[in-house]
This record gives sequence, structure tokens and C-alpha cells, in this order.
Amino acid sequence: MKRPTLRTAAIVVFIAVAFTAGHLAVVTVWPWRAMSTAMDRISQDGAAVNQWRHGQRATGKSRRIVRPSPDLANSSCVYDLSDGPVRIRAAAGDGYMSVSLYAANSDNYFVVNDRNAPEGVDMILYRRGQPRPSGAALVVESPSRRGIVLERRLAPSPDRFAEAARARANDICAPLTEGPG
Amino acid sequence: MATTPRFRWIAPALAIVIALMAGAGSGVLVILKGEQISQSSHDYWLGNRGVGSTRADPWTRAIIARIGLLALNRSETIYFTRYRDSEGRPFNAACTYEVSGTDLPARWWSVTIYGDDDFLPLNEDGAYSVDATRAVRDASGRWRARIAAASDGAPNWISSRAAGTFNLSLRLYNPSRTALDDEATIPFPAVRRLGCEGASS
Repeated sequence: MKRPTLRTAAIVVFIAVAFTAGHLAVVTVWPWRAMSTAMDRISQDGAAVNQWRHGQRATGKSRRIVRPSPDLANSSCVYDLSDGPVRIRAAAGDGYMSVSLYAANSDNYFVVNDRNAPEGVDMILYRRGQPRPSGAALVVESPSRRGIVLERRLAPSPDRFAEAARARANDICAPLTEGPG
Repeated sequence: MATTPRFRWIAPALAIVIALMAGAGSGVLVILKGEQISQSSHDYWLGNRGVGSTRADPWTRAIIARIGLLALNRSETIYFTRYRDSEGRPFNAACTYEVSGTDLPARWWSVTIYGDDDFLPLNEDGAYSVDATRAVRDASGRWRARIAAASDGAPNWISSRAAGTFNLSLRLYNPSRTALDDEATIPFPAVRRLGCEGASS
């Protein structure tokens, strides 16, 4: 029987490496692509960055993000730290409320809720590697330049949703240099 | 016929390209069939401790990005998804089900229906979920919800109209320490098929 040559062995190794590379590339890139698509949808292709966008009650027609909860009032803010830190404020309300931060790879790297912040959330978000700012109860480092801030308020009925909408009306997601510092 | 040296690498190069594409295809397959590699299962409720975590492995991160983008990490919320009834049959909007249980060990909980596209079903019934604040309970504290296209007077109703082959999400917001430490202690809701259109149950 003919023995496998070095060339044959090399080809087998290359095939295995190519298979693994293809597999890992898809698995690794998928969350980044999903987040990029979500950020484009939420920010209307970049037209509404560093500002809250308050969602309506989720229904079958809510198609921006998969598995929306019909029992929560969600607000989202696509942040971009290219020009410096971003300030995030979320008023306290009646019932569960949280503010969560998502990196460009989809990781939920920070979350604070109304139990941790009973007076509401006051936060400054800055980019890793940049000088740490001050002036807020919470100062959080983002592992990526862009990402999403998501605010959730418990609102399982139309009345509760109206309450949540009133509570979030004056919430802030804006560059630190704008508005109240 | 002897192969000229110039063309000796065509077949191996082609094999490598095919391997690259097959690897990519296997990645897509894993992501699309995510529930099959879930890390925990409790009576068909599938959970994954890596949801939202900065320490999630790449496969978990990719699967969650497809079926639960912007999910909270486990310290804030535990999520479970269920695709099958108590006898392992896939959910189908042509059938009627009963989901029942007791209050769950969390500050707030909900059971929500989603279509196979992972969005709420396209109907106008406004009955996508049952949750801790609205569930009607009996004297013993148990709740039962009907999953069907019509409520038929049920005190708790989740509409499966236009839901196709649907699935259920269980959310536990601010779960108890015991639930976080040992998911097996969670009294998971049971889901029983009551019957199907045009067939015996």
C-alpha cells in the first residue's frame, strides 16, 4: 500500500484548519452582526445616536429585537463614545426598573436596577482606555466604542405602561458635554 | 494521464475552500439549532447559564444573539425556553394547552408565547403572556393558563392564534438566591396538551 506523503498530510491538516476557521468565523461574527443590525434599526441607521428612543407596548408587530417582552416598557439608546463619555439618567418609578449596558459583541456587561438605585439611575459611560470621568453616582467603562443602553420598566397593563411612559419622559442619554453635567 | 504540476494544487485548494464553507455551514447550523446544546433542561424548560455573560463561550453568545439578543445576565434575570409539551411533542397552534404552576421564586415572573421566528405572534388579542402581577390564582395559590386561539372564558389566557409552531419563554426577574444557586429548586410550570383540532389528544 502506498504510504501517505507529507503533501497528503499537509492537505489534511489544511482542510481541518479551514473547517475550524470557517466554523469559528461564523460563530464569532454572528453576535457582532446581530448587534450592528440592532443598532442600525434602533438608531435609524445612525440618525439617532446618544439619545433615548422610547418603545411602545410590544405586540406582534414589534420586529426590531427578537423576543420582546409585552410586559415591559423598553427604552433604548445606541451609544457612540467616539467623541467622549455619555451621560445616562433614568428616573425612579413604581416597580421594577433597570438600566443595562450591552457591548458591540452583545455581552451584557453592566446592569443596575431600582433596588440598587432607589432614587433613579445617574451614570456616566466612558470608553476603555480613556480618562475616567467623574460627576455621577455611577461611572462605567465600556469595553467597546459603540453599544446599546436598554431601560426596562415593568408595565404589564395599559395603565402601568402609561405610568412608565410618564416616569421615563425626562430620562437622559446624551453626550456628557450636553445638558446637565 | 499524468497531471501537470501546474494543476496539482487545484484539487487540494478546492478541498480547502469546500472545508472552509462546510465549517461556516456547521457554524450556522449550531446557531440555528441552539436549543439543542442548551446547558440545562428541566422538564423541557431549557436554560443557559451563559446568557448575557461576559464569560459566555462563543457558541452560547452566538445562539443568544439569534434567539435572545439584549437578554440580561443571570444575576438580574434567568430565562428558560420551552418548545415541547409534557410528552415531548412540539407546540402547535392547532392544539390547546394548559400551563400551570405556583408563584416562582423571583421578584417578578412571566410566561410569554413566541412564534418560531422568535417574535410575538401576529394577532390582535393582546394576550401574549401571564405574569406575576395579573395571574388569577385559586385558593391554594396555583394558577392555570389556557394556551389556545380563543380564551373560552379561562381566567388566564395566552393566545396562540397565528402562532404556528410556537415556543414559551419563562422569565424570572431578580431571582432568589436559592433559584440562582440551584435551578432544580425552581417549581417550573407544567405544560399539558388538552387536545388538537380535528384529532384526539
